Amino acid sequence: MTVKVKICGVRTPAILDAAVTAGADLAGLVFFAKSPRNLTIEQAGALAAAARGRVGTVAVMVDPDDALLEAVAGRVRPDILQLHGNETPERVAAIKERTGLSVFKAISVCESADVARARAYAGIADQILFDAKAGPDAALPGGNGVIFDWRILASAKQPFALSGGLDAGNVAEAIALTGAALVDVSSGVETAPGEKDAASSRNSLRRHERPPHNTPRLMSTVTDALNTYRGGPDEQGHFGIYGGRFVAETLMPLILDLERAYNDAKADASFQAEMDSHLATYVGRPSPLYFAERLTQHCGGAKIYFKREDLNHTGAHKVNNVLGQIMLALRMGKTRVIAETGAAMHGVATATLCAKFGLPCVVYMGAVDVARQKPNVLRMQMLGAEVRPVESGSKTLKDAMNDALRDWVANVHDTFYCIGTVAGPHPYPAMVRDFRVVIGRETREQMLEAEGRLPDSLIACIGGGSNAMGLFHPFLDEPEIEIYGVEAAGHGLDSGQHAASIAGGKPGVLHGNRTYLLMDEDGQIEEAHSISAGLDYPGIGPEHAWLNDVNRVKFLSATDDEAVAAFQLCSKLEGIIPALEPAHALARMFDIAATKPKDHVMVINLSGRGDKDLDSVASYLSARE
Amino acid sequence: MTRIDKTFAALKREGRAGLVTFITAGDPDYETSLALLKGLPAAGADVIELGMPFSDPMADGPAIQASSLRALKAGQTMKKTLSLVREFRNEDQTTPIVLMGYYNPIYIYAVDRFVRDASEAGADGLIIVDLPPEEDEELRPAAVAAGLNLIRLATPTTDAKRLPAVLANTSGFVYYVSIAGITGTAAPDVTSVGAHVERIKAHTDLPIAIGFGVKSPEQVRDLAEVAEGVVVGSALVAAIAESLDADGKATGETKPKLLGLVEHLSAALRQPAEAAAV
Repeated sequence: MTVKVKICGVRTPAILDAAVTAGADLAGLVFFAKSPRNLTIEQAGALAAAARGRVGTVAVMVDPDDALLEAVAGRVRPDILQLHGNETPERVAAIKERTGLSVFKAISVCESADVARARAYAGIADQILFDAKAGPDAALPGGNGVIFDWRILASAKQPFALSGGLDAGNVAEAIALTGAALVDVSSGVETAPGEKDAASSRNSLRRHERPPHNTPRLMSTVTDALNTYRGGPDEQGHFGIYGGRFVAETLMPLILDLERAYNDAKADASFQAEMDSHLATYVGRPSPLYFAERLTQHCGGAKIYFKREDLNHTGAHKVNNVLGQIMLALRMGKTRVIAETGAAMHGVATATLCAKFGLPCVVYMGAVDVARQKPNVLRMQMLGAEVRPVESGSKTLKDAMNDALRDWVANVHDTFYCIGTVAGPHPYPAMVRDFRVVIGRETREQMLEAEGRLPDSLIACIGGGSNAMGLFHPFLDEPEIEIYGVEAAGHGLDSGQHAASIAGGKPGVLHGNRTYLLMDEDGQIEEAHSISAGLDYPGIGPEHAWLNDVNRVKFLSATDDEAVAAFQLCSKLEGIIPALEPAHALARMFDIAATKPKDHVMVINLSGRGDKDLDSVASYLSARE
Repeated sequence: MTRIDKTFAALKREGRAGLVTFITAGDPDYETSLALLKGLPAAGADVIELGMPFSDPMADGPAIQASSLRALKAGQTMKKTLSLVREFRNEDQTTPIVLMGYYNPIYIYAVDRFVRDASEAGADGLIIVDLPPEEDEELRPAAVAAGLNLIRLATPTTDAKRLPAVLANTSGFVYYVSIAGITGTAAPDVTSVGAHVERIKAHTDLPIAIGFGVKSPEQVRDLAEVAEGVVVGSALVAAIAESLDADGKATGETKPKLLGLVEHLSAALRQPAEAAAV
């Protein structure tokens, strides 16, 4: 389904052009003296003439008398009339009859009962438009930009249009919640009442080039129609062709349950408030944004800032997501938690939160990772978790995830599966992302504080990609900000021993989602390799796969050698021992920073601390000598 | 009518449930696997499920995982799996073959090409474990057009609300997963399975085959009381595993061991319960 877009309150030829360029389906011309967007018949006639053949026009009126109808129909000649007043069904029928035009009837709603009022117009109006209900003191009977509870509209049976307070930031959610067939974007894309900003209008509706995959689900409804990079996933959990719910039937009812529970929690202000409180007092948020002065000097270019996720309780960004999921587990009445882990930062975070909230915890961990992340295994055990080494396959993260899924399917009634990255079946990629975006939101505020503006570029390492998504997501719709994801190139992209799914993989289906995967020509998953256990996974989150295809995020890679060199440099110049995972992003950041001017501001997500990696780095260095 | 429909119709006339046997294509190697496949109908298999090996079989237990990895190690590919079907079909035009596996190897082979080649090779049905109704639109129309039955799994977690969606567009038979878990682990409880199967039968006239965790002739006989088919998989691939030498290669024991077990299980469906108990 394609959602149609109407830009309402078009007042000038420039705004009309912007709406056409942006791909709007309809342009609204307002005839209501009290509106700042009111037009004379002459102005409207000129705009409608300019629109003919390029975009449909809608004349918006409030209880119009016959004289006005006559003038609009005869001299403006719009394609559609939109009635915003107290027109009865009989009056709507008469107007249709008189003008011979299609008619949209607007219905103000603020509670479920209002939705039923649309029924009287069934078979009469060509389209019902639900609009935010004006408060008793408002001068205008609609179009006030008031956002109401969209879920009310779930009971509406016929395809309808939706208006009221929509903008690029919320329209995707509005569509997801209501299933609207047409969205009316008005005051959301203007700066002051009556002055639509042509640039903003274009920005909020700009269409992407399609990625090179010929499939009908190429772009999710929302992003295709509305063109925000933050609108995904669609209600089936797809980001373009990626994501989805590729799970065995036994798990399907569980992930549907989880989705319902998560949507409930998301809409519950008390859930968010409790989470914020734990984030502040237990996790230690906000984490600092740190200016890395000596590294900046060393690179000789861009100003380098670290978002210090390594300073969170448990030593990495993982804890933000786990807190959200464990609170959700409790809310769902689950009494047992399982998790998979690679570098064991997710395992440690899960063990930590399970200890805090008193839940038994089982962590699946590849036997290879158990050996190379010993300190974290001890931490998990100290926290009361049971660590189960996984001996199948490559004995790393992918196999740990297989076994966690096997556990879940056998313990469906009491067990909550706490996934550590933005991958897996829907709703995990979206849910894990939502629990992580606090990173990017804080960065935004802190950068405004530090530099008085937003950064010029962002960079983060990518295994599954959750720390990166947490930083990137709030900035995706700022087209001037460059965004880089750094995959692990292991022994080199040509060596066959790496973990760079975007650079060296292709789209496939594993672990509940479609995404880029490392595999052979027969579709068998290949083992990844990276010195960093946290990046040692043959896939990537589906939203990253989509962001790659639409060219919003640029994916780079760094080898084991480069990561270790960056690990050492950062430790010596800044007194901060980074985890090997963000060391990959540091390696590429040094290159990029050196090519940028001194007023270019870069932020890296320093996603975790490196204590856990000291053994790995020491044995790597001694082996090289 | 597909071979699957015909087989279940014939079983109904005979008044007994069918034995559905699972082995993995190419386990432990192509030639042995072909010989096993060819021997199954005479040993008493009514329907053959042929596993398409995958590196990461998330819904399977240790026995089937190991068989998948043995086959891949011996060089099994999707092309070879389809060629196994073709070679079998040249000699046997009646026993249905259901290809069972995970979606990625099919997606990479290309869906349209896969359903065409599978159908031409002589396969009759598909079970794709990780392609639920929510996602199968990219394969189902092509499979139906190619004359393949798309067999869906119903499980203990499939509630009444969801069941119609699972049964819609299912054909051939319904595979009832007897336990919430992975293949070849816990044993199904016949009483509770019976209740679930009754619930499914209220919604469909399709035959129902029950699988996951079925190992013994007694289980086969008990489950045959409540369904039209009983699936045995892990026990069979475990028998193959036990017959291999230290290097994982087939031995002279492999074929007799597997087919002997199939005969033993099949006998439970062909004799009156009293006779079998003696």
